[in-house]
Amino acid sequence: MVLTGRVAVVTGGGSALADGLAAGLRAAGASVGVVDGRRLRSRDDAEAAFAEISTGAGAPIDALIHAFVDPAAMVPGPFADVDPSAFEAAWEGTMQAALFALQAAFGQMRGRGGRILVVTPTSSMSGEPGLVAATMAIEGLRLLAKSAARQWGADGITVNCLAPAPEVAFGDAVAGAAVSLAPPALGRPGDPEVDLGPVAAWLVGPDSGFVTGVTVCADGGTWMAP
Amino acid sequence: MTAGPLAGRTAVVTGAGQGVGEGIAKALASAGANVVIAARRAETGEPVAEVIRERGHVAECVVTDVTDEHSVTACVAATLDRFGALEIMVHNAFRGSANHRLEDVDLKLWSNYSGTAVWGSYFCARAAFPHLRAAGRSGRLVLVTSPSGVEGSVNMPVYSPVKAAQRAMAKSLAREWGEHGITVNCIAPVAETPALMGAFALNPVLKERLTARTPLGRVGDPEHDIGSVVAFLASDAAGYVTGQTVVCDGGSFTGL
Repeated sequence: MVLTGRVAVVTGGGSALADGLAAGLRAAGASVGVVDGRRLRSRDDAEAAFAEISTGAGAPIDALIHAFVDPAAMVPGPFADVDPSAFEAAWEGTMQAALFALQAAFGQMRGRGGRILVVTPTSSMSGEPGLVAATMAIEGLRLLAKSAARQWGADGITVNCLAPAPEVAFGDAVAGAAVSLAPPALGRPGDPEVDLGPVAAWLVGPDSGFVTGVTVCADGGTWMAP
Repeated sequence: MTAGPLAGRTAVVTGAGQGVGEGIAKALASAGANVVIAARRAETGEPVAEVIRERGHVAECVVTDVTDEHSVTACVAATLDRFGALEIMVHNAFRGSANHRLEDVDLKLWSNYSGTAVWGSYFCARAAFPHLRAAGRSGRLVLVTSPSGVEGSVNMPVYSPVKAAQRAMAKSLAREWGEHGITVNCIAPVAETPALMGAFALNPVLKERLTARTPLGRVGDPEHDIGSVVAFLASDAAGYVTGQTVVCDGGSFTGL
């Protein structure tokens, strides 16, 4: 199997998306540890959580699949009604967790290479009314990944984004109508384990080593830009 | 009242004490708008307002810290007091820092970038919203982002996500506020600002590389190359353009 012998961390545990991706990576042969987003509130916490997983697996982590968006960002509503504490939870909560997760992964990958995959629903590329702060944070994640790809390429670390359909990430909070007038070309928005898992496995596996800084949309053919 | 496509309208421009913001303020004033120079320091903001007034246009300086919600709401209140309305909010203010490695970024550095770009955008949008809505089809929010918000940055990795967040904000808010006739757009400029000139002075090779990549072969003028684009976006002529990023960089970045 493509990920046999590889150790992967999936963040955002507890969401259907993260748990489905973790199952998909296990199906591809990886040893997978799942980290709750609440363990990403400081760099020390993130490093400790990742160290537990590498200690348990008996090897440093080869792949990070960061699939955490702060739940506060998922609450739909008019942007003018989002108060500063809600905005802080959505924006800072999501971005700081990503920063700490990527830094903790880098600490284990530096000098030996690795794969980082950040999950960024297509909503940030289309825009989504009622989820303004969420889309800001998701696009922030996408560009954090691109910058990390540019800096850490010399260390043999690739950093990419996997973009699922909005409803796969947000569920009932979003209709996904903003993404395209057309329905998904393949007829469904996608199942995290069955449809997204193999794409994630390729992006964190041995055969994608020359691909970095890109966003792969795995949304059944809805968002088709560029 | 001055003549022009923006005659009778009022604009707030943050970070207008220098660089791109100063250019935008001058261009909006030339197009007829009353312009509030929202600058962090009166020492930079007042002279810009004075230059605009000497040209026969209308400008006032209001000292504003975009990282402080109360300061932004006070600026909007002062604008309403002085001019009676606010149709055009331009958030340009930005304060970053030197080059950095992502693995070395701490919360202090992160907050420096996040504060002006993202929190500033949030405070400006929120404070302006009732007035932009009242302006009907003249309401405009323009955010100044960067090509780095699309292509990533090897030298300032934290710069890219905060600039990217502004692009997503424009797209989502355009969808949310479209029903009020408000447009929300971004510009992504490369211009002769004190910041860029400083970078060129430190690294002359950077200027060569940038101009070599630029079809138009020069770095933009803040007023005539960048401000003019914001004046267009603020005008009725651009009333059907929303959610977009207009890259004003002489054709250097072609990735949209």
